[in-house]
Amino acid sequence: MKKWIMIVMLCCAVLMGCSEKTYEPREIVSETDVCKICNMSIVHNEYAGQIALKNGDYEIFDDIGCLMEYIEANGEDEVGAAYIKDAAKNEWIDVIKAVYVYNKDYWTPMNYGVVAFDTKEAAQEWMVSEGEGQLLAYTDLHDFKWGIHK
Amino acid sequence: MKKIGFALLFFLFMSQTVYADFDMQAAIDAARPGEIVHIPAGRYQGNFIVTKPITLQGEEGTELIGERDKPALRIENTAKVTVENITLSGKNKAIVASDVDGLELRKLQIKDVHTGVHIQRSKNVRIHEVNVAGSEAHYSQKGNGVAVFKSEDITIEGNTIERVQDGIYVEEVTRVVVQRNKVTSSRYGTHFMYTSDAEALFNTYLHNVTGLMIMMTTDILLENNTVANHFDFNGYGMLLYDVQQAKIKLNTIKNNRTGVALQKSSNIQIETNDFQMNQTALEGTKVNGDTTASSNNFTGNILTARSDKQGFQLVSNYYDDYSGIDLKDNGFGDIPYVAVSSFGQWMVRQPVYQYFVASPSVILLTSLDQQINKTEKNMLIDNTPRLVMKDTKEKNKVNMVQMLVGLFLTLSSLWLWKRGITE
Repeated sequence: MKKWIMIVMLCCAVLMGCSEKTYEPREIVSETDVCKICNMSIVHNEYAGQIALKNGDYEIFDDIGCLMEYIEANGEDEVGAAYIKDAAKNEWIDVIKAVYVYNKDYWTPMNYGVVAFDTKEAAQEWMVSEGEGQLLAYTDLHDFKWGIHK
Repeated sequence: MKKIGFALLFFLFMSQTVYADFDMQAAIDAARPGEIVHIPAGRYQGNFIVTKPITLQGEEGTELIGERDKPALRIENTAKVTVENITLSGKNKAIVASDVDGLELRKLQIKDVHTGVHIQRSKNVRIHEVNVAGSEAHYSQKGNGVAVFKSEDITIEGNTIERVQDGIYVEEVTRVVVQRNKVTSSRYGTHFMYTSDAEALFNTYLHNVTGLMIMMTTDILLENNTVANHFDFNGYGMLLYDVQQAKIKLNTIKNNRTGVALQKSSNIQIETNDFQMNQTALEGTKVNGDTTASSNNFTGNILTARSDKQGFQLVSNYYDDYSGIDLKDNGFGDIPYVAVSSFGQWMVRQPVYQYFVASPSVILLTSLDQQINKTEKNMLIDNTPRLVMKDTKEKNKVNMVQMLVGLFLTLSSLWLWKRGITE
């Protein structure tokens, strides 16, 4: 019997070792966190983003535009997971699953005018109060022209 | 009983007067364009609005207190408005001006607010002699001292701002002059974003996270500013990110973690500045080759310059750690000054290495670098290092008015004294 228990435990240990590594977002520390791209201190947490790298490091961003600039420059190979704050709830959401809205008059730390939400309904609700915008998906952000638009 | 009565009377007279009989909003509404509305001393609680060209003039003890989360004073869709000699406080913003052509704010005291002055879509604005004092909370919990958005022809002059997020925040503004202001204990002293044709002159920035933060800005002059004591983990004297065409001259940049940092910028001229006692005086990453640091004085800095592979040009600067000689006697060293430092470049990649900057091993490594890199030809090389500091500042300037007044007083005193003796 003992032998079987040992074998089961060994199998569990091997399976755990093989399981996919999970990545959790970490909280922003306003005292020390600065955007990896533009160097601005993170003071508007509701627009912040972060990338959990496969080596365990985190890169922090003040705006989704800076996060995308990092991905464009470094590729996605070393990215374990990427998160952006839901502008309405101030909670971390997966950048790939997030729904984005663009309006040149929405203020964001870099003034790129792109904000993120967890659902399409939340994005629609935002547009009702803050002004109509263009709905975007993560894939659209790769071709998005980051900058201010007149 | 009599004593208690006197005590109550004492407190009644000592407490601040509230002019219940002066309706400020009614006075504003009744004023004709061009009129001056005098506001007597007293505390006025409310959310006041000006939509016509008038002057609001307070006196000592005039205080506006914003109600709820709304601004104490709004100025909207008008021209030629002046607000002077008033104290403002409240939970949210003290003053918000939108779509105003010709606004003057002067001699205002702003305290205990989230944001001091917020200007948007306006032109011909002058903000001077305004004091903004924020609360003791962390800067991420606070707003800006003076913030200007999407405006043109702005002058921000002679203001004192402390304990806010950004002392002066300028976004999407064309033609702005920021001069003779003092900003302390805030996140950024002055923060320019998406601005063009800007000047920051004679300002003093002390003990902020970063003195001058310039981002996505074109054509800016930073001259005669004092930028000191920005030595936090992320502290910079000046940080220029994605800036095109900037001139940085005659500034005193001292005791900062990094004196001047350039990132993704081009055509930056850094000349005749004093870099003193910074951890790193000058840093450049992704900087175009047309960027030059010339005729500056580098004294007491731990690292003079560091950069990525692109580097930038060093021309005719004075370096206190230069050990060359001048056999030609032309005032310039005969061998080039090499600022390349292995450790400096590691610090660019990993800022956390800054904690080892003055360690014995790093000092040894830097000394070795200076010997080994003498063959370096391309990066961070000054081929004409100056041997004597260039005194760029005018000294012993004579103030003619003061001199004449002094002379007159001296002669008058002598004449009176002589007259006293002879009588």
